[in-house]
Amino acid sequence: MMASQKSSQNPEKQGLTIAVAGNPNAGKSTLINAIAGSRLHVGNWPGVTVEKKTASLEYDGRDISLVDLPGTYSLSPYTQEEVIARDYLVKEKPDVIVNVVDATNLERNLYFTLQLLELGIPLVIALNMTDEAAQKGFRIDADKIASILGCAVVPTIATKNEGLKHLMTTAVSFAVDPGAHAPGFVSYGEDIEQALAPIADALKDHPEVLAGRLPLRWFALKVLERDERVLSEYAVEADALPIEKAVKHLKAAHGEDLEAHLADTRYGLAAGLTREALKKPEIRKKELTERIDAVVLNRYLGIPVFLAAMWLIFKLTFDIAGPFTDWFDGLTSGPLSRWAQRLLDFAAAPDWLVSLVVEGVIGGVGFVLAFVPPIFAMMFFITLLEGSGYMARAAFVMDRMMHAIGLHGKSFIPLLMGFGCNVPAVYATRTLENPRDKALTALLIPLMSCGARLPVYVVFVGAFFASQAGTILWSLYVFGIGTAVIMGFIFKKTLFRGEAPVFIMELPPYRMPTLKNLLIHTWEKGKHFLIKAGTYILAVAILVWFLLNLPWGVENKQESYLGKIGQISAPIFAPLGFGTWEASASLITGVIAKEIVVSTMAVVYVPQAQGEEEEAAPSFVEDLREIGVSFAGALREAATNVFSTFGIATISAEEEEGAEDLKTTIAQAFTPLSAYAFMVFVLLYMPCVIVLIAMRHEFGTWKWAGIAIAYQSALAWTAAFVIYQGGKLIGL
Amino acid sequence: MTLADLKPGEAGKIVKINAEGALKRRLMDMGVVGGTGVRVEKVAPMGDPIEVRIKSYALSLRRGEAKSIEVEAQ
Repeated sequence: MMASQKSSQNPEKQGLTIAVAGNPNAGKSTLINAIAGSRLHVGNWPGVTVEKKTASLEYDGRDISLVDLPGTYSLSPYTQEEVIARDYLVKEKPDVIVNVVDATNLERNLYFTLQLLELGIPLVIALNMTDEAAQKGFRIDADKIASILGCAVVPTIATKNEGLKHLMTTAVSFAVDPGAHAPGFVSYGEDIEQALAPIADALKDHPEVLAGRLPLRWFALKVLERDERVLSEYAVEADALPIEKAVKHLKAAHGEDLEAHLADTRYGLAAGLTREALKKPEIRKKELTERIDAVVLNRYLGIPVFLAAMWLIFKLTFDIAGPFTDWFDGLTSGPLSRWAQRLLDFAAAPDWLVSLVVEGVIGGVGFVLAFVPPIFAMMFFITLLEGSGYMARAAFVMDRMMHAIGLHGKSFIPLLMGFGCNVPAVYATRTLENPRDKALTALLIPLMSCGARLPVYVVFVGAFFASQAGTILWSLYVFGIGTAVIMGFIFKKTLFRGEAPVFIMELPPYRMPTLKNLLIHTWEKGKHFLIKAGTYILAVAILVWFLLNLPWGVENKQESYLGKIGQISAPIFAPLGFGTWEASASLITGVIAKEIVVSTMAVVYVPQAQGEEEEAAPSFVEDLREIGVSFAGALREAATNVFSTFGIATISAEEEEGAEDLKTTIAQAFTPLSAYAFMVFVLLYMPCVIVLIAMRHEFGTWKWAGIAIAYQSALAWTAAFVIYQGGKLIGL
Repeated sequence: MTLADLKPGEAGKIVKINAEGALKRRLMDMGVVGGTGVRVEKVAPMGDPIEVRIKSYALSLRRGEAKSIEVEAQ
């Protein structure tokens, strides 16, 4: 933690903290990125899923720590983001607040500014997007705002890096000498001030105020508003305070709800201030945003446009990522494995160590890398959707449908992406602000049949249902969606009982996000996945290597630990029609990734091909050249994919070598009915380890991953049981 | 009459919010305060939510929430 030393009015002070606050869509993120650039550190606020961005930089010979507060419209006690922002401001006491204000939306932004001023911390307004405001013909008198509010106002254009130096200089000069730059007094009107005075008088001896930890005016305002969080946290008995007379008078004049009256008052002040400082052209031109929305949100075109956009993003995400995933795979299974093997052979390492390193460790690394391209692509597009303003429209268009199963309009996109890969889909829930919406969406994502489950279906459909392959395949996808709808209802009534979150959302103007912003966000997400999730996945991959290969030297896989566990757990699956050790061992390894069900089956069902032909191993230089050539190939292929039309993955494309042998064996080990039950089980049973880790990573707790394991395992077992036993009953 | 009763293109003035706690505060924080002019711009393709223009920006909300906002037609 940063030691926030409070030595006020000390020009020699070295460490300064600048908090950046503002409305969503005011350009806060762009401004921070422009100032901090690569020094930005992205993490989470403790205990919650809200992103926390910080940066340490040197400015003017001082150490500055920049803290980005969540974008909020207010500092009410009702949403996670607002509580984080105000707790930080009140408890951590930054030296100065930089309030990013959207110059094109002055009134609502200044409403927030007024709440910041109540805290008594020196404040500098970054009057942002002045270029857009000028384009609209707005003329804003920055000095007037500064003199009325008693703060500094610096015009900025964060996207063009304009005004940021001046902003920083001003902020630092305020932070160094807070005494001289305390915000001015903004009167809330005679009746409110008269009610506040006795409250402040009664509170001024509160230990927190005496210790200088609580700004008195803010404290008094919260007590007047009956802010539950403040009252309970600081043990204030609002009714016991000798304030009744003035408050009664206020209530008599304005009604019982003083919180609402104060909000009204602040908006009144913001409106007045806006009238004073802003000159708008007489006639409002129809803006570009409105013209785009006339199409994008059109009654008839809205949904087609949305679906087309989603189709494009889905295609781009997985088609661009695909060749790079293959390239990583080739890199680790080819040259990297070879080099490791040679190195170990050279060091005369024992066989088991070679196998552990090559198959366990390097195999695991390859596995982690395979997920990096789709995660990068996914985060790029999610950031693009959000930054451009389309995400809010997507939510607007889809909300009716998603609301019916207890979700938010924005839930649609993560769920859709789930069909490609559940892992980036879980990360895509980032776009949902409310923790309830986010958790519920993440719990339903694994029911979307991802690309890794397709190889399993392909083998089984090929072995049993070759003549109606399409129908059977579709039935599985539809089964997953149907189950998600039902589970959505069930979760809404059980786990997420209570009031559904509201849908009150700004539709921000369309804007072109800067490339820098897009890249920083994408990179941060991918990097975190590599470091945080990567370690776990690697550990699991090594564990599975142990299970499959120990005791060392087992010839028959039935004798391995995995085989033994398979035998023990087989009876669980007997009522479902596939109670063999091979099937259960495959399902166990499938927990790493569902396509591994097939590769394990290939190992346990089909006798190993003896003595693979030794190819002439390429030299180190040849390997290096090949890596470069194949990367160029991947680039080319990704580029071609972008332009080529989208072909739905055909069954033959997914088929692997040696699949014929496997199919023949499976045709003997299963019946059509047990095969279908098995496919449904693979569709529904616990998400793969990487999804679970992504959930842990995204939510900061194992809770949701645990719930997903529990409910999906129960669901899969029940569904497969009903299908198998029901099928037997009707004589299938 | 509530905001949910206005059709696209119709405008009104906010009288009061018939809600409590978080919903009321959220609406007020977004600029839905007494005396403010509001115009319904669009209805989502599936009939809900709606888009309104208030305090010179675009706000979307569900009909259920719009029902708690009392308006007088202009």
